[in-house]
Amino acid sequence: MEKLKKAAQYMLDALQAAGADDAQVSCSEGKTEEFNVDAGEFSLIRSVFNSGAAIKVIKDHRKGTVVLNQLDKEAVDAAVNEVIAAADSGAPDEAFCIAAKEENLAFKEGSLVCDKAAFFDSVIKLTEDIARDYPQIMIEQLIATHSYGKRVLANTNGVLFTEEDGSYNVSVMYSAHDGEAATSFNYFDFDFLDPRTDILSLDGARTMLERAVAELETRPFTGKFVGTAVFSPACLGDLLGIVTGSFTGDLALIEGTSVWKDKLGQKVADERLTLSVIPRDPRIVCGERITADGYKAENFDIIKDGVLNSFCLSEYAARKTGNARSKSTSGSIAVKPGDKPFNELIADIEKGILVCRFSGGEPANNGDFSGVAKNSFLIENGKVTGPVSETMISGNMAEMLFHLRGISADVVCDGSSALPYAAFDGVTVSGAAEE
Amino acid sequence: MDDYIKKALAGVTDHAEARMQTARGRHVSVVGGNLVGNTSYVTHGVGARFYKDGVWGFASDSACTPESAAAVIAAAKENAALLHSRKPKNKPALANAQAARYTEARPFRDVDQKALTDYARALDGYIEKTYPDLASRSVVISANCIEKTMYTAEGAFAYQLFPRVYVIVILSAETADGATVELYDILGGGEGYFPDYYDDPAALHEAVDGLYRELMAKKEGVFPNAGERLCIIDSAIAGMVAHEAVGHTTEADLVLAGSVAATNLNKQVASPLISLTDFAHTAFGERAPLPVYVDDEGTECKDAVIIKDGILVGYMNNLESAAHFGMEPMGNARAYAYSDEPLIRMRNTALHPGTDKLADMIASVDDGYYLTRTQNGQADTTGEFMFGITMGYEIKNGKLGRALRDTTISGVAFNMLKTVDMLSDTVHWDSAGYCGKKQPMPVSMGGPAIRCRVNIGGR
Repeated sequence: MEKLKKAAQYMLDALQAAGADDAQVSCSEGKTEEFNVDAGEFSLIRSVFNSGAAIKVIKDHRKGTVVLNQLDKEAVDAAVNEVIAAADSGAPDEAFCIAAKEENLAFKEGSLVCDKAAFFDSVIKLTEDIARDYPQIMIEQLIATHSYGKRVLANTNGVLFTEEDGSYNVSVMYSAHDGEAATSFNYFDFDFLDPRTDILSLDGARTMLERAVAELETRPFTGKFVGTAVFSPACLGDLLGIVTGSFTGDLALIEGTSVWKDKLGQKVADERLTLSVIPRDPRIVCGERITADGYKAENFDIIKDGVLNSFCLSEYAARKTGNARSKSTSGSIAVKPGDKPFNELIADIEKGILVCRFSGGEPANNGDFSGVAKNSFLIENGKVTGPVSETMISGNMAEMLFHLRGISADVVCDGSSALPYAAFDGVTVSGAAEE
Repeated sequence: MDDYIKKALAGVTDHAEARMQTARGRHVSVVGGNLVGNTSYVTHGVGARFYKDGVWGFASDSACTPESAAAVIAAAKENAALLHSRKPKNKPALANAQAARYTEARPFRDVDQKALTDYARALDGYIEKTYPDLASRSVVISANCIEKTMYTAEGAFAYQLFPRVYVIVILSAETADGATVELYDILGGGEGYFPDYYDDPAALHEAVDGLYRELMAKKEGVFPNAGERLCIIDSAIAGMVAHEAVGHTTEADLVLAGSVAATNLNKQVASPLISLTDFAHTAFGERAPLPVYVDDEGTECKDAVIIKDGILVGYMNNLESAAHFGMEPMGNARAYAYSDEPLIRMRNTALHPGTDKLADMIASVDDGYYLTRTQNGQADTTGEFMFGITMGYEIKNGKLGRALRDTTISGVAFNMLKTVDMLSDTVHWDSAGYCGKKQPMPVSMGGPAIRCRVNIGGR
């Protein structure tokens, strides 16, 4: 860490000597160990050693940034010249800033040293468990990694954060096959700290594989109806990621295109919906500790009891739009669970669809969306019935949040989020051909 | 470091590769008149991969010294040995490995950041002054170049540069009901450097004006009637059909994982009008948008013919999959960063043109849609695809009608391609995108306008 601190201080000194009014630097080093499975067979072991630095400079209210991955003097001196030239070429903007000094902190957490042998054993066990319990499942690609990193973030206001962490991740993309019958691919992804983790026992993994096997009976859906869409935890996370980006993110607020731009403190969803960013929640593995702007990261609510509580803004966008910067820039989100188990949530739905993956175009600025409901099942008379293919769903995300039918008590924690199932009414479901 | 790597690989009997790469880029974005993005990057590194009886070991380091190269090569060998010891495949050596050689003659050329910021601000100034009624406007300039030096144990050598530059304009307008509609366009650019394409921002004014007119039409747009419809997919979208809907399913690693192409080789999968090729460096008699001469396994790049006259005739391969399927490797093994291993990737993937005129194709539709712009697309190993559609028009009685709001089209590639009965005689290429697999990769895609039946979303 001392080497990175010295590199950061050298950069800050050089930047100030070159005329920077304010500067922020982050320097990092790390190592990744990775196992790959392709088409069901182990294919590759990969080791990546890396270093990096990012420099932000403000000079005469103009900003420039540079990214490099060499920390030697020659590379750093060249980067200093480059970033000053970039700032000189920029446009003045009073909103450009660096973080104010609060409390300087040092963090160290997670599994810092990769237990390569134990982790390899766990990944082999995962492939063997899947082959034994779900013989129709083809692991299209499995990527298992241990990532270790250390990082320094410092600025000319005296901010100095250090962090060092390590964690394991397994990502599995799979499909089911039986003769010439094949399903759409789906995937699950888990972060964890124990290299001996029984990966298939993690939240929801077996359910997803069981659903894939059931999808071998998939039929194209015909017809069109407006009904209830129940989104799986993973799919709900993807949709809410789109919502937060389109309605609460930097660009949407700076451009003024967000439909929520004037809704702070107002109702934007059913009162049962609370959407939070939770990087410091104990369920999150090595979540964000330092924001990209250089502040200590904290949990916060985007929507609390249906009311818009905070945008997701960088400090620049906050100053530009007259709002507060968000307390975290992390994507680790949680939705407050409901009180019904998943089966009861389904039980009172007359006609709907269980959407386990959504493949759609970028939604319009106003939230209009349409796309393919992948890995999905019809819901009829309170029961999950046949799996469907070639089925599209459409609606408006801003309106949909008001049409919340229910949230499950079941929550899936994958190490980077904590999400339940959520059901929304008023979604259009259409098949390849109308009846 | 070159000498060290050559010596280190010289005594290796199995296939092995080592690459040194430098990636450089500049990015400028002006959002609503604010220069919010003004950045550049340069990264270096070395990576090596070793084959051991059917499994691979890879290692990389951002340090670029003989010592780091030695450590990377040792770690890659160790990884291959470790995997072989635990999960042996006991496959034969890669006898199809080649010793292709290529040296790029044109040097890397950089420009000052100021050239980009001045250009972007001038173009933004024109938009602000000319179209004050816009809800928002953005101008983005992206210039990047990957420089690769690659050696293999078989004696292959390649020094290649992959430079690209683009100017992107994004406009939005408010509709009568208070919503906003958005359009973006890539204005010029392609393989090469900023001065090759961009000198005077005024040269882009006409293109901006056209984009604005389309946005105004979209502002009054309607939602399509959801369901399967007869559509003319413009050539601007055809590349997405070639790349997403078909291309991915014919990458041999996905074929081995059970894609729909696995059971369809040498079968009729499309209308006899359809031919599809992944071009290496020359397409339809011209330099391909993003030419590749030697891949990252040392194979000479040649065209990979995928569909010929509607019949699936081949896959895209690396050395391993080519040996498995008994096909000739055509140079599709490509790595993005120095820290990435080569994967099977597309290069310049295109549907071949037909003989029809676009105007005749539109006139042939009584009730359908003409789809002209896309923003993103995804494919499935089953061949089911989805494209976001950001611009299109109704066709009523052979004439263009009202514009469309954002929507999505989807279908199953080998079903949809069987419905193709007209293809236009011109090809449009798009080379600005990145393909996402395990790694990103610059790719180009192209094709003619297509008349077919496809599932369209509505509201």
